[in-house]
Amino acid sequence: MLNEPRREHICLSPPSERSRREFLIAAGATGAGVAAFLIVGCGDDGEPDLVMLGYPRQRIAALSELRQGEPVDFAYPAGGEQNFVVKLGEAAQIGVGPEEDIVAFSYLCTHMGCPLIGQYKDEHKIMGPCPCHFTTFDLRHNGMVVLGQATQNLPQIALLVEGDDIYATGVIGLFYGAGSNLRDARVEVRS
Amino acid sequence: MSKRDTGRSEVLAAGIAEPADQVPLPPPDAKVSTIACEYCPVACGYKVYTWPLEKEGGPAADENALGVDFPVQQLTGKWVSPNMHNVVQVDGRPHHVIIIPDGDATVVNVGGTHSVRGGAIAQKLYNPQTPTVDRLQVPLLRVRGTLQPISWDAATDIVAEVSKHVIENHGELAWGIKRYSYQFYENIYAITKLGYEKVGSPNHAPHHAPAEGDDVPGFSDTGIDAFSAAFEDDKEADVLFISGSDPYETKTVRFTTWMAAGGAKIIYVDPRKTFTAAFAEQRGGLHLQLKLGTDTALYNAIVRHIIEQGWEDKDFIEEHTSSADEIAQDGKWRRRMFGLSFEGLRAYLQSDDAFTLEGAEQITGVPADKIRQAAEMLTGGGAAERPKTVILFEKGLYWSHNYENTAAIGNLGVVLGSVGRPGRAISRMGGHQRGGQSAGKYPIDKSPHEFQGNKIEMDTDRWTVEGKTRFMWVIGLNWVGAAACSQQIIDTLRRLVLETEPQVTSEDTATAIAQLKERIDNGGMVLVHQEIYENETTEFADLVLPAATWGEENFARNNAERRLRLYERIADPPGEARPDWQIVAEVARKMGFDGFDWADSNEIFEEAGAASKGSRRDFSALVEKVQAEGRRGHDLLREFGTTGIQTPIRGDGGDLVGTPRLHEDLTFKTASGKANFVKADWAAVKARNDLLAPVGDELWVTNGRVNHLWNNLFDFTRRPYAIQRWPMNFLEINPEDASARDIESGDLLRIESDRVRNQVGEEIQGSFEAVAYVSDIVPPGVTWTYFHYPKSHANAVVSADTSLQPISLRYNFKLGRGRVVKIGTTDLRERMPFAPRNLV
Repeated sequence: MLNEPRREHICLSPPSERSRREFLIAAGATGAGVAAFLIVGCGDDGEPDLVMLGYPRQRIAALSELRQGEPVDFAYPAGGEQNFVVKLGEAAQIGVGPEEDIVAFSYLCTHMGCPLIGQYKDEHKIMGPCPCHFTTFDLRHNGMVVLGQATQNLPQIALLVEGDDIYATGVIGLFYGAGSNLRDARVEVRS
Repeated sequence: MSKRDTGRSEVLAAGIAEPADQVPLPPPDAKVSTIACEYCPVACGYKVYTWPLEKEGGPAADENALGVDFPVQQLTGKWVSPNMHNVVQVDGRPHHVIIIPDGDATVVNVGGTHSVRGGAIAQKLYNPQTPTVDRLQVPLLRVRGTLQPISWDAATDIVAEVSKHVIENHGELAWGIKRYSYQFYENIYAITKLGYEKVGSPNHAPHHAPAEGDDVPGFSDTGIDAFSAAFEDDKEADVLFISGSDPYETKTVRFTTWMAAGGAKIIYVDPRKTFTAAFAEQRGGLHLQLKLGTDTALYNAIVRHIIEQGWEDKDFIEEHTSSADEIAQDGKWRRRMFGLSFEGLRAYLQSDDAFTLEGAEQITGVPADKIRQAAEMLTGGGAAERPKTVILFEKGLYWSHNYENTAAIGNLGVVLGSVGRPGRAISRMGGHQRGGQSAGKYPIDKSPHEFQGNKIEMDTDRWTVEGKTRFMWVIGLNWVGAAACSQQIIDTLRRLVLETEPQVTSEDTATAIAQLKERIDNGGMVLVHQEIYENETTEFADLVLPAATWGEENFARNNAERRLRLYERIADPPGEARPDWQIVAEVARKMGFDGFDWADSNEIFEEAGAASKGSRRDFSALVEKVQAEGRRGHDLLREFGTTGIQTPIRGDGGDLVGTPRLHEDLTFKTASGKANFVKADWAAVKARNDLLAPVGDELWVTNGRVNHLWNNLFDFTRRPYAIQRWPMNFLEINPEDASARDIESGDLLRIESDRVRNQVGEEIQGSFEAVAYVSDIVPPGVTWTYFHYPKSHANAVVSADTSLQPISLRYNFKLGRGRVVKIGTTDLRERMPFAPRNLV
């Protein structure tokens, strides 16, 4: 049990404002369904460690607000991630919207975690080159590496459109840095 | 489910690999081993964690063996991507394994960086739940046309008996081995002990060439070792001159960690505008976009301009280069024939207007001003302090024109004095790692081939096509795809092996042996294929022997900066697969040879130590130390971990001291100990270009590697993540050439030629299919394809006529040509990116 000291004591404080807010966002966004959390341990700060049991449904943008080639940032699924949704102007694999050209991905390069913020090339529908080791990802093809060193596609956020609302409904692929998206994906981005 | 409610199921329907969203973490007591990547010559260091299936670590630093909190921060080199995980058998029990780049590395892949190849190397390991399920597991004998399982004892009996029969009745030259040149010291030592030393057959060639011998002979004749540099020289340099390989694609971590990180200006020579070309230009360097096959003229012109301007390293040349008299006394005929003093070089370069800036522009297509700029950047243009220059080269250079191109680039290194000092070096980059520790010497005296009265290594492909090889043992390669004029090898094997009577009609060992001997006596041939997976060569094999490989046995080898490391056994080999050395040793014993009684690979490693003495691989001091201390060589090497030790190794009081770079004393491997210049004969190159160049509607069809894949894809067709990117072979074609042929990206192409020179100099038909990748990365007139994609043989349109390169008997692999014809379309535009691959 020496390996698991964090599970030895009872959390003294209730979930903080931040974790309650995440909980409420997730729960509210799912509409019909409520994202379920499981308390699996207690942080050094006395706050409970929450693990999501499934991907929540979360509104991330409005169709009418998206402009071609201009990524819009959002956090999903737990609230600490940096993702973007972008209208490519060209149909994409699992793209949504009337032109099936709206896709969403993580900003973290799956090679060594460098942020790709500001690297979108609308001419080629490419994210990158990553400033660290030059990997490029094709957003029409599930974030597949065009040239580069990442060992998985850029994690893609599954989307759903209802009316003007775009919802995130899941994550395809593991976020850089995480061992499990649902358990520990709250990666802080240092740009 | 509505079409817009997307997710996993639709991703799978799109045909891409299903990505995981979690990965098991190693518990704190997971077993830790070290290994280096299997693939490119950089050989990044990796840590391996194995633990029983029923356990799992947690996300807190004290809950996992990595000692880090999850989520992991960027650039720490401690993250575990799902492709770094697998499930394997260890001593017959299922275990998790993760193989991650060593985040604590201070050499090679400092800080745990990696390429896309090595990063996913855990997928290499045998796991019947993955596409590795078709690993070869038992020996197979072709009976009535079908491969049937037999016992190891029967298989090695057959190889031994047939071998003895061939050697006794048809001579050693009829008994051949084709084998990888790199797949670990222990295996190469065992194979060459049998082939070179015991049988003594010159019918023995590496995976990449029809003959043994030096791949860069013109360069070696300067006296400089082909792997003299350290990676840190790339970082120390002010100027990097790179020819014949895109290092970002193919030596990735050497590029990202050493070349790019040092901030050197890059002069990049390539007919294609690749990523590194664009990178070089963006950072103040030059892209010398030469016409295919014109390297010799380009480097001769740069060197001539340097000499005309007086920018050469006069002190180095004065003190450390040979005089004409010294060259005349060299023991090596090639040096006597082609070696030049500085005065001799100057006279040769002045003798031909091809080597003026304008003359070279005409030939190479590189503007005269860029050639002048290159000369100035390399030398400082007469400035008081010379820039430190590193020159690096590889196959685009030496598989175009072998002797002359390697001589020409060698002259550039010598005239700059770029050797043996920090940030001043000239070296090959390597195509694979350096595992070629042979036993004894290649029996060149028995070779039937010569050049102007001098013995040269035997052209084994030509010998086979001429019907003179009666037994060939192919170990760890796809001969069919690897040889130039692939279709001639296919035709020859079909005729000699499958269509010469008798064929084996019984699993009974004695019957099979008798039938195979009879076929041999009828002028036919027996083919043994020793491999980890079947490939096209297996289709012609009488016997298939399943090999154990990387991660399934303890092995040692060097990388391209001579860094020697232990590659530890991680998992059980599949089925009855055995390491190559063990198979060879059993056959050798059955042939009646002594000296093959090794109990394990460590015993071979220690025996090979003595054979390495005096070479760039010299690790004899390590072996002497362990023998004095009563220890094992592999165990001591294990203690060096992913850092290893750079050879040659010397003993210093009980310590072992490595050698970061060779030639630090500025002595060279010539009779005089001084470096030579070498005649890089443009007239010979021009004549060859005239024979091989495209005419009419033909295009150049040159080839190389891409970063996702390695060699003949033996692992990569079984790696969904890699093969989703390249589901079939492709041909880069310029938009101008594409539109003239009504070709768009995604179209199915046939590349065909009816004048491919075969191994005996006849012109025959050859073709392969590929998907079009329309891109201005290639200039008009030039197409480019993957060099060794299964069942799509780029070499089918490459000349196999080694009489064109009689000094070294190498193929002109990079000078294919053919017509490009659209034969249909594919659905690949839906599944695979056709985006530019050179964005910076």
